[in-house]
Amino acid sequence: MSRDEVADDKGFEQFERFLEHWSRRDFLKRAGGAAAYMAFLGGAVEFLDACAGNSTTTTTTAKKGGHVVEGNFSDVRTMTSMLSSDTASNQVIGLMFDGLLNYKKNGDLVPALAADLPKTSADGLTYTFKLRPNLKFSDGHALTSDDVKFTYQLAYDPAYKDVASPRRGDLSKYIKSIDTPDPQTVVITTTQVFAPFLANHGLYGILPKHVLGGLEPKAINTAPFNSGPSVTNGAFKFVSWEKGQQVTLARNDNYWAGAPYLDQWIYKVLPDSVAVTNQLKTGEIDIGPVDPSQFDALKTTSTVAMAEFAVPTFTFYAYQLDPSKPAGPLFQDKAVRQALLFALDRQSIVTAVFFGHGKVANSVEPPTSWAYKDKPQVLYTFDKAKAESLLDGAGWAKGSDGIRGKNGMKLKFTMITNAGNKQRESMLQVMQQSWHDIGVEATPSLIQFPQLVSQIVNIRTFDMFLVGFNWGADPDESPLYTSDNAIAGGFNGADFRNAQVDSILNDALSTLDRNKRKQLYGQFQDIMSDQVPSPVILFNTGIYGVSTRVQGTDFGPFNQFAQRPWNHNVWVTDGK
Amino acid sequence: MLAKYVARRFFASIVVVLGVTLITLVLMDRTRGTYVPGIDLNPSLRPDDIARLRADLGLDRPFYVWYLTWIWGVLHGDFGRSMIDGSTVMSHILDRLPNTLELTGTAILIGVVIAIPVGVVGALRRGSKTDHTMTVVSVAGVAVPQFWMGLILILIFSVTLEQRGLPWLPSSGAYSAVNGGDFFDRLEHLILPATVLSFFYTSTWSRFIRSSMLEVLSQDYIRTARAKGMSERRVVYLHGLRNALIPLVTLIGLELPGLVSGGLVVEVVFGWPGIGKLAFERALQYDYTTVMGVTFFATMLVIAGNLLADLLYGVLDPRIRYT
Repeated sequence: MSRDEVADDKGFEQFERFLEHWSRRDFLKRAGGAAAYMAFLGGAVEFLDACAGNSTTTTTTAKKGGHVVEGNFSDVRTMTSMLSSDTASNQVIGLMFDGLLNYKKNGDLVPALAADLPKTSADGLTYTFKLRPNLKFSDGHALTSDDVKFTYQLAYDPAYKDVASPRRGDLSKYIKSIDTPDPQTVVITTTQVFAPFLANHGLYGILPKHVLGGLEPKAINTAPFNSGPSVTNGAFKFVSWEKGQQVTLARNDNYWAGAPYLDQWIYKVLPDSVAVTNQLKTGEIDIGPVDPSQFDALKTTSTVAMAEFAVPTFTFYAYQLDPSKPAGPLFQDKAVRQALLFALDRQSIVTAVFFGHGKVANSVEPPTSWAYKDKPQVLYTFDKAKAESLLDGAGWAKGSDGIRGKNGMKLKFTMITNAGNKQRESMLQVMQQSWHDIGVEATPSLIQFPQLVSQIVNIRTFDMFLVGFNWGADPDESPLYTSDNAIAGGFNGADFRNAQVDSILNDALSTLDRNKRKQLYGQFQDIMSDQVPSPVILFNTGIYGVSTRVQGTDFGPFNQFAQRPWNHNVWVTDGK
Repeated sequence: MLAKYVARRFFASIVVVLGVTLITLVLMDRTRGTYVPGIDLNPSLRPDDIARLRADLGLDRPFYVWYLTWIWGVLHGDFGRSMIDGSTVMSHILDRLPNTLELTGTAILIGVVIAIPVGVVGALRRGSKTDHTMTVVSVAGVAVPQFWMGLILILIFSVTLEQRGLPWLPSSGAYSAVNGGDFFDRLEHLILPATVLSFFYTSTWSRFIRSSMLEVLSQDYIRTARAKGMSERRVVYLHGLRNALIPLVTLIGLELPGLVSGGLVVEVVFGWPGIGKLAFERALQYDYTTVMGVTFFATMLVIAGNLLADLLYGVLDPRIRYT
């Protein structure tokens, strides 16, 4: 027997002893787990009922103290409302700053810092806000109409033109003046009737003039406040920001709606959706956005409840409609555009690519909108025969290679989307196959997101692109569909120009009456369903995993990221 | 002599830094299209907003003007501000540097500590079972992708252990989100990422030491030492190992920039807020200034690492002279 083997035997013995010890421990744990599981089954009916809704409200009295860790993919960029244009920043800003107004779940407005919804003058040009009495910033300083005026000045007043606010385009166009007759009254006069004004611009977090007011406009862009606001007015105040890791917030006892139950709210940056799933399971995070592909993996976890709701986000593809571009001539005839849409089995896309978490789109307005029309003029159900007959009828005949052509042109083009987005990549593959079946050769091409944005917004040499868009609460969609947004820098990259759509969308913007607007948007949706310049494939759903120890969250279509009027009501059952 | 050598290397490095940063900028500038860093598809942005933000960032100027402005700033110690969040690039680097040093420093240390004995044992017992096992393990260490190993470790040591109610290890970050940051908390977070990273280092380095040791042990002076009746231990550790370590010095010297960027994959998988992750994320977002700052920094470290390795040669091998 050699020396080595003796050593091996000893080691093995030790290992066996360890294994035995470990499995006995494990057995005990499992026995405990089984008991817990039986208890869970016993209470399963009530439990599932509680999970079914979006809300995790319960009748037990809320406990004070403890913390919530919320996970997300992107780090914050700035914490100053007037400088921010990305979702992650807006989300953290929303926890620290309230605006005059806020959204209800359905996108309707509710007063926040304002005591009530504003009075609108008869001509629709002037909004008069009354602030709640005794509003205070987190440092105890009074929040008055001066702070509101200052906040908006940063983005509209020419004196502050050096402030790099992404809101200047709209605000400087629509705001004529802001008056503050007394510390509690704000009068905003607009240059023209602009229906989405309150929904789009009434929610910006109000900034403390006594902190930022002394700075030169240019210095505001680089103020330390942007990366650590010393003073806030929302449910939480700022504690620290460890870049790339987390933002830590603490309870603001001066919050107008009462101090939140939680001591701390932590916003944690995670690498990807797999990490969100793992950490919801381990309890390292309490709240996190769940990717449809991870839904089933989490549903079976007893410590995580799921909230799923429709969101005003859609995924669409757009045809190149500019006839001067290489692929432009292919898509001039609406029969081609319609045929391609008929040939797509969008329900299978929702099922296969989004695991059923989404809704096939009938319209270009999101179903979450009050202006949504479920049955616009033309409905597209998967119909391959109809697609082929439309193409035949329009003169696109199959050639010897099986590809349709007309007047020497071949129905061949490239589809682009951003690499790394698995769902979009899969969608392009489905489209390629579906269209191949009717004699159309479409080739997927994946490019980086910045290049995709450049293609859509400026370069525009694409044949077809696929991308998603996230809308606000107002049904206005002119950035994507009016001809004045087809200029360089606008989002109408498909070059869709339709005089009727232009006039309907413009009318709807200058009409305050919701019924009239609804009628106009109905017409708009009818035309879009007939013209299909950029067909919507599906409307996405928002899915959040929420630890069962967290109570009081109430996610909804418009209460997802920044707008969460309930965040001060969140509490944790274990008080930790 | 030595001073002259260092001075010459220093001047040569200026050219390298200029070249590397210029290439980085041209690559970013040429592939950016018209994308404005920090601006995504946001329907509330108007064309004039986008144009204005582009001008604010200086992106309406040709890239060489931008480059000269940047170099001028660097010469004055100003690395500019991030195009994404407006914080100074220096603050980003300084925020993340300690985390990265913590992770890669630990990994390199573990790597050296394990690789040397493993390599030596492999060389001394060439062809034995132990040697074969270690060969298999180190080939696996080089071949298994770090992101995959990271995910598997998270699945086993975080998710599965936690679900079974056993003690488990945190899966991401450098410390706990709540009340974290003390020594043991950081250590707990360090275990998984450091394991993945050091596994890679150990595997590569132990192979090098093994072959280098084998080569040294077959040299004439080793035979001479043995012939003089020196104890085996003395022969191996004093005469053999010291000479076998020379190539390792180069390797570790070259790994110095890895102190900053080597952990990129591991940092991304484990959500470790380090420099590698910073550079990776910001490159995707076309944050010119931050990427340029990190590139500059990493280039300097490569140069310093190489120089240090070259100088250490002289210490380890008296035959080497600097001219």
